[in-house]
Amino acid sequence: MGLYLAQQLINAFSYGSILGLLAVGYTMIYGILGLINFAHGEIFMIGAFVCFFLVTLYQVPWVIAALAAVAASTVSGLILERIVYRPCVRRKAPVLTVFIASFGASLFLRFLFMMFFTDRRRAFPIPELFEKMYFLGEIAIGLRDIIIFVSTIIIMALVAVFIKYTKVGTAMRGVSYDAKTAELMGINSIKVIVVAFAVGSALAGVSAIEYGLTFGILNPGMGFMPGLEGFIAAVLGGIGNVPGAMIAGFLIGGGEILFVALLPPSLSPLRPLFVWALLFVILFVKPTGLFRPNVKFEGLWGE
Amino acid sequence: MTSGERASHIGKIAVGLALYVGLLMLMDTQLKGFYLGVMILFGINAIVCLGVSITNSYTNIFSLGFGGIMLIAAYTTSLLTLPVRYKAQFLHLPLWLENAQWPFVPALIAAGAVAVLSSVVLVLPAFRLRGHYFILASIGINIVMTNIGINFRAWTHGPLGVRNIPFYTNVWWVYGILLLTILFIVRLKRSKFGRAFVSIGKDQTLAAVLGVNVVLYKIYSFIIGSFIVGIGGALWVHHIGAMHPHVFELVFVFQVIAMLAIGGPGTISGAILGAAIITFFTQLARPVQEGFSLFGLEIPPLIGLIQVLIAMIIIIVMIYRPQGLLGRHEITWKTIRAAISAVFKKTRNRNLKG
Repeated sequence: MGLYLAQQLINAFSYGSILGLLAVGYTMIYGILGLINFAHGEIFMIGAFVCFFLVTLYQVPWVIAALAAVAASTVSGLILERIVYRPCVRRKAPVLTVFIASFGASLFLRFLFMMFFTDRRRAFPIPELFEKMYFLGEIAIGLRDIIIFVSTIIIMALVAVFIKYTKVGTAMRGVSYDAKTAELMGINSIKVIVVAFAVGSALAGVSAIEYGLTFGILNPGMGFMPGLEGFIAAVLGGIGNVPGAMIAGFLIGGGEILFVALLPPSLSPLRPLFVWALLFVILFVKPTGLFRPNVKFEGLWGE
Repeated sequence: MTSGERASHIGKIAVGLALYVGLLMLMDTQLKGFYLGVMILFGINAIVCLGVSITNSYTNIFSLGFGGIMLIAAYTTSLLTLPVRYKAQFLHLPLWLENAQWPFVPALIAAGAVAVLSSVVLVLPAFRLRGHYFILASIGINIVMTNIGINFRAWTHGPLGVRNIPFYTNVWWVYGILLLTILFIVRLKRSKFGRAFVSIGKDQTLAAVLGVNVVLYKIYSFIIGSFIVGIGGALWVHHIGAMHPHVFELVFVFQVIAMLAIGGPGTISGAILGAAIITFFTQLARPVQEGFSLFGLEIPPLIGLIQVLIAMIIIIVMIYRPQGLLGRHEITWKTIRAAISAVFKKTRNRNLKG
């Protein structure tokens, strides 16, 4: 049992890092713009597709393809911001309008990919090198688990340092807490929004690569559930609180994997129920999340 | 109102009703197959839109959970009306339900009632949560309901779905219920209830200060909205004749939201206009999506093209005309008459100048 649990904990960590990276993107954009970027899951999906096509069609080396995938995610996030969100923000559109627009953007991207590449599942290319297994006593640890672990920790540390110590990071926290006052202090909020979208989308790209490595599949609808779960993690971590989102991502992803692993197999189709039940409990008991949110709450509904 | 005015009023209503019935008869006798289906779908979508607009536009609680409510209502009516021999084949129901084969109207009302009961799951979060948190919770309700539908095989036959549901829906039922819904909402908007809903939607705190019982009226708005939406779901099932757990998923929910947003939220005519635009667009663009040959040129099937186009339209509308096509204006006899007279006046002025 202990062995099984240890094995499942390793799996849990992989899924947790996927959600953690997604949650950081959500929490940054939600904190700054006050909108659920519903298309975040689709930005994630674009990253996986770019990596897939570069490796299988053009035989690009895997590492370069993965980097290109992150770049593609970043670019698509920026394009989305420029085309959909900036006009809305400039017109001071109500929150609901922006939400419907982002819902539309999400479905647009998903069905666009479905139109061109059909809905069928494809195999994500995993380099043979990564299939290597190490044994710690009797627990098997794949090289890809280690790579996911190390890269996630490094990236999260970098993001935490970026948010905490750089000038732009400080500006982001300021705009997230109170955009009007931050603008009065001479912060260009458009610039901050662009940076938030770039960083968030890049993290979504990294997360997509990790998803591909963990599950080995991709299809146009793949971003939907991880996207929503990432947002739940962002809520759990306290909106706008970047380290909180990371920890909450690990908690939710890990909890989900352990839910499936520890309960009888007949309950495993109820996996989505677990996440949403958890969300309801969080929202009812402590709507501000586990950690201190970094937004002013009265402004949430907009005028 | 003097007696003469009242007589002319009744006369107008009678003429309007006669025109409506005539139009329905024309539709019933002249339209066949595909086009009849499109018209019926339009009617059902309009009913659903009107139901959703009560909570989402008037009371301004932006709920995406109506897909789940519709799913429950649709399953209720399909289990109640399904012929007994099909039920025994692949469902494992309790005895009273297995032997039940209700007529259309009681099943429809039962579907509405179950929808109202199940809207509790939406009402409870609505008290505690605001803004995006409530939207997220309502999406969760949708997903959870779909998931229950997939996994609760004894009643729903899982993802394979239920077939052979009797086709009860026709033009008369749909448009009759649509007319009733419209009249009901027209009355509702002028009543104490409707005014309370709108005041909660504009500013909840202010409404509470003015003495509106916010909690109670939120419950009322969910009850009324869910009933209408549930009836819409039941009509849909009896139109299609089959049911499976994925029909009212987020793509459908988005279409309804798109109808409301395009037409103009908060008005009856806006909801109907939006339903017309999106329904006709999706149904008439379907041949394009399924691929066809044009002058020997093979156009490959593009599954998902309709959704892509709708999403594009909705983004453009949200950026450039967030209040919808009609905005807050209702189309009534008065506005139609004003529009007509404005056109005539313009031509008359032009004639005078010329």
